Amino acid sequence: MTKKGRITIIISMLVIALVVVFINAAIYNKPHTNVSESSPNVSLASNTLLEEFENDEIRANSKYLEQIIQVTGIISALNTANGNGIVTLSGESATGSVMCHLSPEENKKMSALKKGQNVVIKGICTGYLMDVILIKCVIVN
Amino acid sequence: MKSLPIVLCCFLCAMLSHGQEKFLTKQGYTSFFSSSPVEDIKADNNQVLSIIETSTGTIAIAILMKSFLFEKSLMQEHFNENYIESDKYPKATFKGQILNFGALDQNEQMVTVQGDLTIHGVTKKMKTQAKISKTEESISLKGSFPVKVADYDIKIPSVVMNNIAETIEVTFKLDHQPYKK
Repeated sequence: MTKKGRITIIISMLVIALVVVFINAAIYNKPHTNVSESSPNVSLASNTLLEEFENDEIRANSKYLEQIIQVTGIISALNTANGNGIVTLSGESATGSVMCHLSPEENKKMSALKKGQNVVIKGICTGYLMDVILIKCVIVN
Repeated sequence: MKSLPIVLCCFLCAMLSHGQEKFLTKQGYTSFFSSSPVEDIKADNNQVLSIIETSTGTIAIAILMKSFLFEKSLMQEHFNENYIESDKYPKATFKGQILNFGALDQNEQMVTVQGDLTIHGVTKKMKTQAKISKTEESISLKGSFPVKVADYDIKIPSVVMNNIAETIEVTFKLDHQPYKK
């Protein structure tokens, strides 16, 4: 083998190794879904979402979990827990609601919200306990 | 004397509701921490539901697996898809008892909590110490306990065996408020 050929092989191997390292780093550091910049997968009324979970949780889970959901509803409560805002959208049923846990950047918008107001919020659905839970929520309107 | 049945009824209702007083939180905090030579992994969950029945000291906790947030989204993906299989098992639950609950005064003190912990579809008996402080307006419960990954049939591929600890430290902080309905 010529000297030139050997150098070419070494260089190409180095390049391949570098590319592999970069791809691995990119995968390892893959960013979280940015809710505010993503368009919602589904848009619906908070009551409809709650009803679907109340009627058939398993089906609703497979349909909505980890999806970005945009809900429209009336604020029934405003709380904070561990410094993060929670907007509760009431349902027609007595027990359940849709609880939207705001992302930290959205906390300052909390003060502009009032009980009884109509809001549009998008967030990632993580499931149903007593209420449907949306996290990393962003206030749309 | 017409009102007597109504009064009786009210009295009964009052007694019943008093006997079944519930304290609840929907914003409980749970985290878990895995420490290994390669990396430390931590995940937080701020959407824990916990209900304490004050007449009996019974406690019921439900946790959504998808609500655990990791520093890296890849870790979160692996956790949900490969290890905890959250599509199949979306919740972890705990049903148990705070021992000697009735004897507690308003001072912060240690209690023993024991019951059944279900993770990844596997139920195991467990017992742990927790710090409790109980007043008229709130019951706060704090503590931590170890969970062995293998106990709950959670399979970690050998490739990442060194990245994930065999025993994971679970921390909880639950501030219950009286439940009015």
